Amino acid sequence: MIVKKLIEKIEGEAELNFSMHKGSVEDVRISFGFYRGIEEILVNKSPRDALVITPRVCGICNHAHLLAAVGALENGYENAGIAVILSNKARYIREFTLACELIQNHIKWFYMTILPQLERLTGEEGGENHALKASYLSTTITKALAIFAGQWPHSSYAVPGGVTCDPTYVDVMQATALIDETIRFFEQVIIGMEFERYLQIDSVTQLHEVQGDFGNTLHLLGTHGMAHTGQSHDRFIVFGEGLGMQSGKSIATTVSRVEVRYVKEWPQKGSTAKAVAYKDRIYETGPLARAMVNKAPIVKSLHKRYKDGLLTRIFARVHESTALLSHAKHLLQKLDLNEPSCTLESRLLADTFEGVGVVEAARGSLIHKTRVEAKKITNYEIIVPTQWNLSDGTEQDRGVAVEAMCGTRSIEEASFVFRSFDVCSVCTTQ
Amino acid sequence: MTDKKALKRESIMQVALQLFSNNGFHKTTIPDIAAKLGMSVGNLYNYFKSKDILAQEIIKYTSEILGEQIREVNMLDISAAEKIHKIVEIYFTTAKEKPEMIEYFLRVYLSNREVFSDGCQGMVCVSGFTTEIMIFFDDAVSSGELRNQDFFSAFGLFMGYLGGMVFLKGEGVLPQDIDYYIDDISRNIYNALKA
Amino acid sequence: MKRGGKPKLLWLQSITCNGNTHSFLNHPDLFSLLSHFELLYHPVLEAEYTLQDILEGHVDCDILVLEGAFREKGVAKGGVEISSVIEYYAKQAAHIITAGTCATFGGIFKQYDPEHITGFCFDIEEKTTRHKQYADKLISLPGCPIHPKWLGFVLMMIAQKRPIAKDTLHRPLELYAPTVHTGCARNEYFEWKVDTEGFGLKEGCLFYELGCQGPYTHGSCNKILWNDVSSKTVSGTPCFGCTEPDFPKTTLFETKTNMGIPAAMPLGIPRRAYLTVTGVVKSFKIKRFEERLIEYDR
Repeated sequence: MIVKKLIEKIEGEAELNFSMHKGSVEDVRISFGFYRGIEEILVNKSPRDALVITPRVCGICNHAHLLAAVGALENGYENAGIAVILSNKARYIREFTLACELIQNHIKWFYMTILPQLERLTGEEGGENHALKASYLSTTITKALAIFAGQWPHSSYAVPGGVTCDPTYVDVMQATALIDETIRFFEQVIIGMEFERYLQIDSVTQLHEVQGDFGNTLHLLGTHGMAHTGQSHDRFIVFGEGLGMQSGKSIATTVSRVEVRYVKEWPQKGSTAKAVAYKDRIYETGPLARAMVNKAPIVKSLHKRYKDGLLTRIFARVHESTALLSHAKHLLQKLDLNEPSCTLESRLLADTFEGVGVVEAARGSLIHKTRVEAKKITNYEIIVPTQWNLSDGTEQDRGVAVEAMCGTRSIEEASFVFRSFDVCSVCTTQ
Repeated sequence: MTDKKALKRESIMQVALQLFSNNGFHKTTIPDIAAKLGMSVGNLYNYFKSKDILAQEIIKYTSEILGEQIREVNMLDISAAEKIHKIVEIYFTTAKEKPEMIEYFLRVYLSNREVFSDGCQGMVCVSGFTTEIMIFFDDAVSSGELRNQDFFSAFGLFMGYLGGMVFLKGEGVLPQDIDYYIDDISRNIYNALKA
Repeated sequence: MKRGGKPKLLWLQSITCNGNTHSFLNHPDLFSLLSHFELLYHPVLEAEYTLQDILEGHVDCDILVLEGAFREKGVAKGGVEISSVIEYYAKQAAHIITAGTCATFGGIFKQYDPEHITGFCFDIEEKTTRHKQYADKLISLPGCPIHPKWLGFVLMMIAQKRPIAKDTLHRPLELYAPTVHTGCARNEYFEWKVDTEGFGLKEGCLFYELGCQGPYTHGSCNKILWNDVSSKTVSGTPCFGCTEPDFPKTTLFETKTNMGIPAAMPLGIPRRAYLTVTGVVKSFKIKRFEERLIEYDR
């Protein structure tokens, strides 16, 4: 039996066709809406126009697109023989603003997707305005971002050689205060415990200390028997570096190196989104992947018990926000405003080049590839994280989210598993 | 200012322009100018507080007059090549009919920078003229007739060339009447600047 | 609207990136603002109805907020052409707000298929066939994305039943009569025609070399700051003219010049006037503008 379901509020919508067998999900086809053709729009434009156009792929992870686009230009410059050496100041500021975007995303997803859906699924609706919390946190952390980037969403403040801003210590102090305010919000509302103490938690046995909305969520998942639900291939991949994290892939907890050149995309029948694989294998990308590749102790501990199920996946995303907050604060402390913001001239420095930019976006690895001839873009490719997680899969393997949904006991549960991947419809159908 | 006073002012500038151009700025005194106008020195000072100020007002006045004529050319619906021809014509005709105006620019304005350093720096007193040249360039590049480049590389070519010819004329070394050169020089300028 | 009831607000999306949705979520007074309305549907906020309910047309609305570019055919949600859903609610709404440049003029996504993708009532600056029908209730709020407080302002005006003064493109004058240049922290450098020496400097103006469109772009980005703290030009990024009907142009990080003269003049300034002032002002060297404002290693 095939059951159609329109999934909404996932940065757009998706249509899921469930194949049901004896009351549980046997297979799922995921299809997304309208293809917007950003890659085609970029052809014939000036190379740096990508810094303005590509953030418009996505309203929630626009900043990651900007940083991937500038990475592709800088890599292209280097391939054309131009040395690109960023100041520490520029690197720290870029990392800081990216961290802010990730935190914004994760907490919005937690409050606006996970909590309401989980309450509905378990019938334990608290009647709280979760969106109010999400909006407060998002407003606070994107304000810190905008101090440097001018605005969020849709900043274009990263340019080849650095950043356009020239902050003062007035700005740095204000950003620091906003990070502190976000930490305070975590302590009082999300984790219900002291932030520094939370960061020291490294095993499942200490998790009972976590209170607040996060603690409640973990409790709900556990008591409703969902901790083991939603397991997938248990293979993870990370291409971006920075934010205190390394790249690599993790298969059965063994971590090894990766190279972007082995990434291959292909079109899928009946979908506007392309599938993607690494050496013909399907991997999961995102916060759980980052934690597994970088061996975050508490996530590893959860994984040991619950594998790559709902609990581990949801935990990893919220948990990553705390690590990012701590990292962001550290970056501000290290900032030396005496260094230059941008080390390259403001004009286009090469007429013909090819470059690849890789960034860890909220949902995982984001790859931009640009090819430029005679000062014009001749080809632009964007591989978004959701393509990794939501493809139909290969002949050998189901897609990551499809695999996770198979075996769930109801369409509602399967939909919840689907949402646990933090689906972004607009990115998938750029 | 009343019309009568404005007319008087203009006639002072015209006389001073002639004397400065012919005899040199330093060799010309306020009493010389007053005498030529048949007015008292004291009265002349009612119009211009000093010789330097008078010199500055004259450069503004001449560049306005030239600018006005080029402005009319800019308004015409003709090609850039034809506009160049007309601008060269204006410049050389002025050099011929009112040589003191161009002479003043070359021999007084450009040669006595200390007189103009306070109040007539850079383009301040010649903007009436340079603005119209800018507009000519802007139009001609927008229409695709002239090649886009730095303003000064184009401006220097155009004005340096014309100034040089008038200088040669003033030195009396040109074998032909200056009108004779209008066609060729216009073509040369166009060829150098065309897209 | 029922007598005494709150106005019913419906937010619909078509071809979009969700940027306007997320920008609006950063409104610092979001929920007190929303308390004046009955929220029927929103792309990310919990609301009274599901998208399915909205698609089936069981609801009636007073204020329709549109996000995303418009296409008559080929954009479906749950098997229903979104254009027909939009028109269904547009007919009954008392106010239609096109939130963002895509919904207003077509925006970035128009460039993928310029013939079929437009704004709701404008195709760049041209009126679409729908303009005539909806003109009397149309409010254009271009911007890529929309500024949360601009939308907040318009919603509050509607809630208080105050008329909104608009220009010919239906943009509220209070928001779009100024240019982005108004209030820019670099104004002194513009006045004295002092160019910035490159990206990453707080000194200098971005209009002459780096492509800033602030002086001829309608919008109050530098009066009502972004995220309450900054703006593109304040943070050293040129304005890309994202509120304008022809956004995005090309070669956005370079000023188009003809022999060094900016090809586009500040809004409403005759070229002759601009060039006269520029020629004069550039003749002066102002020492203060040649130095850095702050040197930390002194």
